[in-house]
Amino acid sequence: MKITLTVNGDRYERECAEHHTLLRFIRETLGLTGTKEGCGMGECGACTVIMNGRAVNSCMVLAAEADGAVIQTIEGEAKGPTLSDIQASFERNHAVQCGFCTPGMVMSVKELLASDPHPSVDAIKEAVEGNFCRCTGYTQIVEAVTELTGTGAKGGLDHV
Amino acid sequence: MLHPFRYLAPQSAQELAAMLADHASDGKILAGGTDLIPNIRNGVFKPSVVIDVKKLPDASSLRLGADGLSLGPAVTVNDILRSKDARERYPVLCACAHELASHQVRNRATVAGNVVNASPCSDMAPALLCLDAVAVIGSGTGQRELPFREFFTGVKKTALKPGEWLDRIVVPASSAGARGSYLKLKRIAGHDLGIVGVLFVRLGGSLRFGVSSAAPTPVLVDTVTAKDGPDQAAATVLGSVSPISDVRGTKEYRQHMIGVFVRRLLAEVK
Repeated sequence: MKITLTVNGDRYERECAEHHTLLRFIRETLGLTGTKEGCGMGECGACTVIMNGRAVNSCMVLAAEADGAVIQTIEGEAKGPTLSDIQASFERNHAVQCGFCTPGMVMSVKELLASDPHPSVDAIKEAVEGNFCRCTGYTQIVEAVTELTGTGAKGGLDHV
Repeated sequence: MLHPFRYLAPQSAQELAAMLADHASDGKILAGGTDLIPNIRNGVFKPSVVIDVKKLPDASSLRLGADGLSLGPAVTVNDILRSKDARERYPVLCACAHELASHQVRNRATVAGNVVNASPCSDMAPALLCLDAVAVIGSGTGQRELPFREFFTGVKKTALKPGEWLDRIVVPASSAGARGSYLKLKRIAGHDLGIVGVLFVRLGGSLRFGVSSAAPTPVLVDTVTAKDGPDQAAATVLGSVSPISDVRGTKEYRQHMIGVFVRRLLAEVK
């Protein structure tokens, strides 16, 4: 079937198999491989993209369901060599180690900040509760957001 | 990699009824997809047709009316949490919604899907049971209403007949203002399927417990009275469930924690 959607501001009209996921469409049809497949079943959040303003696991959305949708992926963050504010704060705060979870983390944080520019630490934790990071221990990720928003004290987070 | 299927998106109840009639054995209804898609991926289901109900008229309608709060089949769990009407009048619904999976999953998962799947660990079922919610069931021959008390018939089994679908959920106006709290035992602080969950609701003078992950179906216990002490209440709730041992916890652990939760909730929700 043919679907039309907007990804990072660009409009695409493409053929897709009816059983393909949005994740597969983004990676294989559009060639945007920043979005990752981790578990493929909604546990890890590596495939998180923003669809019509909401962070979703693109491994559990069919490309067919995204017909007409507005999608944002990690490729829409940096403008040329200039990182977005969220990306830059992740870099400054060492919120990235292997980087596999980072595109999904950034998308979840982006949705949060769009609706709540000054989130509490609890709200930040809740926003990324569906994004697994097996490297950083999460503290730096929460700190990257609090530094950006001026909410919550840096350090001293007992656990996430 | 998903097993190949065709994608259909009916625009009317008549179209949906015809599709369900044509695909009684090889069709699956898609709402949020957060259970269906992983189940297809894992080979649990191999439908040849997936029928998306999100394009039905009013599918995403969340409306407060004289009869109560009405939820279309595509209303997501986060739609409940974002609804001022739900937060102010049906806080018990929000308490359960908030414990369901992760933020991204709640952005897609629907309330209807969470109950139609009829998993014993459904987080929304305890709220719908305790609040006397009604399932409005659609079919090619018209609608029927069924209280959620009669909806769950076994593990992953409901009273829906072939050709029927859950068209709307109505949480009645008489349940507005009910106070309660939901305690869900999990293996980790983040999102997880429950080991056990206990919802306690005070609705007028009535005391209700909704229990998840403790029997073949979500369970409503409405036989605890205001005169019962915590031990008697815990015994009554435990007498209504039949937890099993599985990968997430033993039968004994579940029984123990149900008792702990009942006592805590009685003290917490005044």
